[in-house]
This record gives sequence, structure tokens and C-alpha cells, in this order.
Amino acid sequence: MSARRRWIALVAGTLAAASVAGASAAPAVRFDRNIKVGVVDTYSGPPAVFGNDALNGFRLALQEINRDGVHGARIEFVTRDEKFNPEIGLSMARELVLQERVDVLVGTINSATALAISAFAREQRVPFLVWISKSEAITGARGHRYVFSTTENTAMAGKALAEAMVRRGYTRFWLAAEDYEYGHAVTNSFWRFVKRLKPEAELVNQTWWRTGEPDLVPYLTQILQARPQAAFFGTGGAGMANVMRTMQVIGFAQRVPSAIHTAIDVTVLRPLGTAAPEGVFGTTDYLYYYPDTPANRKFVQDFQAAFGGPPGFPAFHGYITGHFIAEAFRRARSLDRERFVEALEGLRIQTPVGEVEMRACDHQAVLPMIFGVTRRDPRFPHLVAGDPTVIPGANVMPTCEDIRRARERAR
Amino acid sequence: MDAAAILGQLLVGLGRSMILFIVSAGLSLVLGVLRVPNVFHGSLYMLGAFVAWTVAEALGPHPAGLWLALATAPLVTAAVGLVVERLLLSRLYQREHLMLILFTFGVMLVLNDVVKLLWGPTYRSLVPPPSLQGAATVLGVALPKYNVVLLLAGPVVAAALWLFTQRTRAGKVSRAAATDRDMVAVLGVDVSRVFGLAFALGCFLAGLGGALVAPTTSITLGMDHSLLIDSFLIVIVGGLGNLWGALVGSLLFGVTQSLGLLVWPQFAVAFPYAVTAAVLLVRPTGLLRSAW
Repeated sequence: MSARRRWIALVAGTLAAASVAGASAAPAVRFDRNIKVGVVDTYSGPPAVFGNDALNGFRLALQEINRDGVHGARIEFVTRDEKFNPEIGLSMARELVLQERVDVLVGTINSATALAISAFAREQRVPFLVWISKSEAITGARGHRYVFSTTENTAMAGKALAEAMVRRGYTRFWLAAEDYEYGHAVTNSFWRFVKRLKPEAELVNQTWWRTGEPDLVPYLTQILQARPQAAFFGTGGAGMANVMRTMQVIGFAQRVPSAIHTAIDVTVLRPLGTAAPEGVFGTTDYLYYYPDTPANRKFVQDFQAAFGGPPGFPAFHGYITGHFIAEAFRRARSLDRERFVEALEGLRIQTPVGEVEMRACDHQAVLPMIFGVTRRDPRFPHLVAGDPTVIPGANVMPTCEDIRRARERAR
Repeated sequence: MDAAAILGQLLVGLGRSMILFIVSAGLSLVLGVLRVPNVFHGSLYMLGAFVAWTVAEALGPHPAGLWLALATAPLVTAAVGLVVERLLLSRLYQREHLMLILFTFGVMLVLNDVVKLLWGPTYRSLVPPPSLQGAATVLGVALPKYNVVLLLAGPVVAAALWLFTQRTRAGKVSRAAATDRDMVAVLGVDVSRVFGLAFALGCFLAGLGGALVAPTTSITLGMDHSLLIDSFLIVIVGGLGNLWGALVGSLLFGVTQSLGLLVWPQFAVAFPYAVTAAVLLVRPTGLLRSAW
């Protein structure tokens, strides 16, 4: 190397080192206004339980974030009630973006609303973080640059349950589900993975009922009579409570091993009290009592102090959504939406369940799934997840290649 | 498919039929006597379920909790119905039909919001007393023990309604008013009081249905929707205002659904509606004689 080239290299190296040092040392960036988040979710009717829980988790995160702020700015939020209606949800999102000028959109419990807002977010180039809806299409076939998911989805739940049931040796299944977007999505996903893992698996039959079907006894007794080896149920919300109660009354799970996503979830088991059945296999991505780590204990204590009850899974999602937003703006060092999106891609943050990554290829948070079986425990007023095991998110998520193909097919 | 399976599903379907009968009998009574399609009938059913939950919860694990709840809830809904009828609805009888429907629709919205204010959006569970928990095996079918209560409640209500309409003066007058209210008024009977009584009784039955269903389902906002639609269909299929028509319609509805599950589980939801449509094609005024 000639003296001249060594000299250039030295100068270049010094300049580079100076710029890096400058970047890390300088509190140079100072946002000239607060960050505004627009929350669209259901705050009336039965699903409001989930919407409010998520919002409480989000509030707790903001309390922590605003203590020090993000480059001198606070994160503020406004909420809008979509009333579990995609059309209302979309017009609310429109108002938040065009009139309220929010920097980021967040929501909602309704998968159909989330998909509608997602399409609008893409057109307006506004980042949208989905925090409860579980349709895998959100970050799968219909995903794009501006939509992110901080919640587990039907693809992850279906795969986790399919693997667990197939590993237990079950091959003859009955599928029973509520006739709506989530019911179809989670049931289809479960069956797709069962067939992939065990092509000879047999579908004995399937049952679909209306959402809000008050009496499930005839549906369940009929399945008992057909004696499948195992059953899968695709239900959520209040319908979930009905299935669980009916199972308990007729001793269903003792006769036909059953799997339901969210069966071990606190939001499902707590309102049921002792009317919940033992022995149902289930999955969820958050439990306030497991894993019993310092990080989770602290989150639960803070949440309980603030809101008077333990956090459910929506609260956990709301909480990490707040921290993902704050951390992405910190990294972006700018209020620019494009910079925010780029900073959020691949971002890793510490959460009550450990480090969680926002996968860059599909904008899906890599969340671990917890698998367990419902069980009574004298220490709790509700049933809990017995024999819980944690399945790393990477094991149940579709690969980036799967996502790419799904999006191409959708196009 | 064996005979035991069919009998078992039949038994399970009958339990549901009984709830449907109790609720739609109330709807049918009001339709027959007052000529009012009571759209807030479903809200009273929901209110009955919430009141039953509150009463049972207040008494905690006491075994009498459920029975007291079953007794209280219908009285509360009857009282609500009576107040609405005396104060407001009774002033509207001369108006056209559409006005009456709009009025009861308005009351439905108000009642649903009242339930939301009092109990909030979370769903509730009423756990039956230990003696009624679990299942009894009947004909090889796991039948919830509580369903036996339902199977008994239906015939008891039917018998009580029969006694009321056939053996009491008020019942006879309301039957007469259903047929020709002007003639009854001309005969010097205070029709207004009969209307109030019939309306309160209808609301009582809605609350009773709600209280009876409470231990079997999630008590939640919105539980009134599907039931209201089903009850109206049952009343139409059975014959407007005909109590026995409500019984026949309910049996048809509950049993076709549970037996339909044996035949074609994917489409079981559609069976009761398909049968309803078929019946109305053959007999547009319903199976039994309509009071209208």
C-alpha cells in the first residue's frame, strides 16, 4: 500500500469513527412535536373487554415511555370506537389520518376491520400496527410495507396445535367451528398443518354453527356419538365461553381429546370460574403467571397496580405495541413515516416474555406460543394451563418464502 | 346411525325447544291479544338472564340461589313490561301498526343500553348448584342434568298457560279480545286492563326463558338477537297469536336442528330455517289457526 493510499485510508477511518461517535453521543435529534397514535378498536359490546384490555396495556407502556420521552417528545393517543364494524372502523381510521394527522395507526380486535384499515394504510403510507386480530392474511397474503402485527395469528396457532395433536398420535379428527372470519381461518390453518404433518389423517366430519349460537349441547353430543379420536374447535370471544361450558357439563374433553386456540387463555378461563372444563388442550401467546420470570412479574405487578386486575393477552399486545412504536421512533431519529417503517423492520425489544423481534420480511412479531392443558389449581380462582411448554415463535411461523409465495398468489 | 343416537339427539333438541317455547309463547300472547309485535321481547329475555345471574351471584354457593333467581327474574321483566305498557304503549294502541313496531324497537335500544350500563360488556357465567352440574347418561347420550329442568319447565309452563286461558276469567277475556276486541269492549269489559295483564304475562315469560337459559350459556349483550329472530319465526310458523302454535313451532325448530346434525352436520344451522320456509310455502298462515 502506497503512502498516499494509507493516508487516505487513515483520514477516511478517522472521519468514519468521528461520525459514529458523534451519532451515539449527540442527543442531537429533538422532535419538535409529540408523537400521535390513533387507536381504532371496539369499545362497545362484548368484544370491548378485549379492546379495553389492550388499551390498558398500551397506557402502561406509554407511562413508562413518557417518563423519559422519545427524543424529547411524548407519545399521545386518541381512540375511536369501531363498534366491531369494518365500515365504521375504516371511516374512523380515515378521520384519524386525514383530520387528526396521527403518525401511526393501531387496532383492532376485528380481523375484517384490520384488513380494511390495512388497505387504507397502504394507500396513505401510514404505518398500522395490528394488536389483537388474528387473521393470518394481515401479515401473510395481504401484508405490505406499512402493516405490522404485534399479535400471534391463526397460522401460528393452527400449526402449534396441529403439531401437538399429531405428536399425541391422533389421526381421526372432527372439526367444529363458529361460522365467521376467525373461525374459518384458524380451523383451516389447523387442518392444513395436520395434513402436512400426517397426510393420512382423516377428517371424520365437520360442524359449523352461527356466531352467538346459544345452545351447543346438540352439536357436542352429536360429535360424542360419532366418536372421532380428537376434535378441534375454532371459536373465540363469548362463543368460546359457550363451548367451554358445554364441554364441562357433558364431560366432553374426557371422552374426546379436544384442542382449541386460547382454551388456556386467562381472558377465556377467568370469567368462567369453575364452569370451565379440565383437560382441554390449548394455546395462547401470553399468560400472566407463566413463565414466572422477573420481567413478567414486574409487568403483572405494574399492570395490577394501575388497573386492579391481571393483564390478559390483549394487554400484553398493547404493551409491546407501545414499546415497539417508541423504540422505532428512537431508532428512526425522525418523525418521518418511511424512516419509522424501516426502523421497525427487524427491530428487537425486551418484553415481559423475553426478546421479541419484528420480522423484517413480513412485519410479524416473532412471539412464542404457550401450549398447555386446562387444569384446576387451588392457588387460582380460575383454571390454569397445566404442563405449559413454550414453543419458540420461529418454529410455528410461516417461512419468509411461504409469505412471499402467499403474497404473489394473492396478487 | 342407530336408534339410540336419534333418541339422544331428540332429547337434547327438546331441551332447546322448551326455552324457545317459553319465550315465543310470551311473544305470541302479546301478538294475539294486543296485536303488537313486541321487538323488545328479546331484550327482556336478556335482562332476565342478567337479573338471574345477579341474584344467583348474590346468594353465592347457596343451593337455593338458582331457584330464587328463576323466581325473581321473570317478576322483574314483568314489572318492566307493565310499566312500559301502562305509561307509554297503552297510549299508542289507536296508532297504526308501524308506530307500534317503531315504539317497541325504541324500547329495545333503550333496554339494551340499560343492560350495558348496569352489567357492562363482559360476559357472565351462572354456575348451576352442584346437584345439577355434570351430565346424566340417558340412552347412551350425555345429557346435561340441567336439561332435565328444561324438559320439565316446558310442560309446566304449557299447562299453566292452558289453565290461565281456559279456566280463569282474565284468560277467557284475553282470548275473546284476541278474536274481537271491539265486541269485548262493547260487553263492558275493561279491555285496557286485560291488555296490561297479557302484556305483563308475555314479558314474564321472556324473563323466565332468559333465567332458565342463564346456566346453560354465556350471559352477554347480544344474546337477544338470534333468539328474537327465532321466536318471531316460530310464532309465524305456528300461527300468529296461537299459543299451541308456538309450542308446535318450537318443537319443530329445536328438533329439526338437533336431528339435522345427525344427517348433515355442516349444514345443521340451515335445517330449522329450511323447514320454516317449507311450512310457510305449504301453509302461509302457519300450522295452526292464526288469531289475526
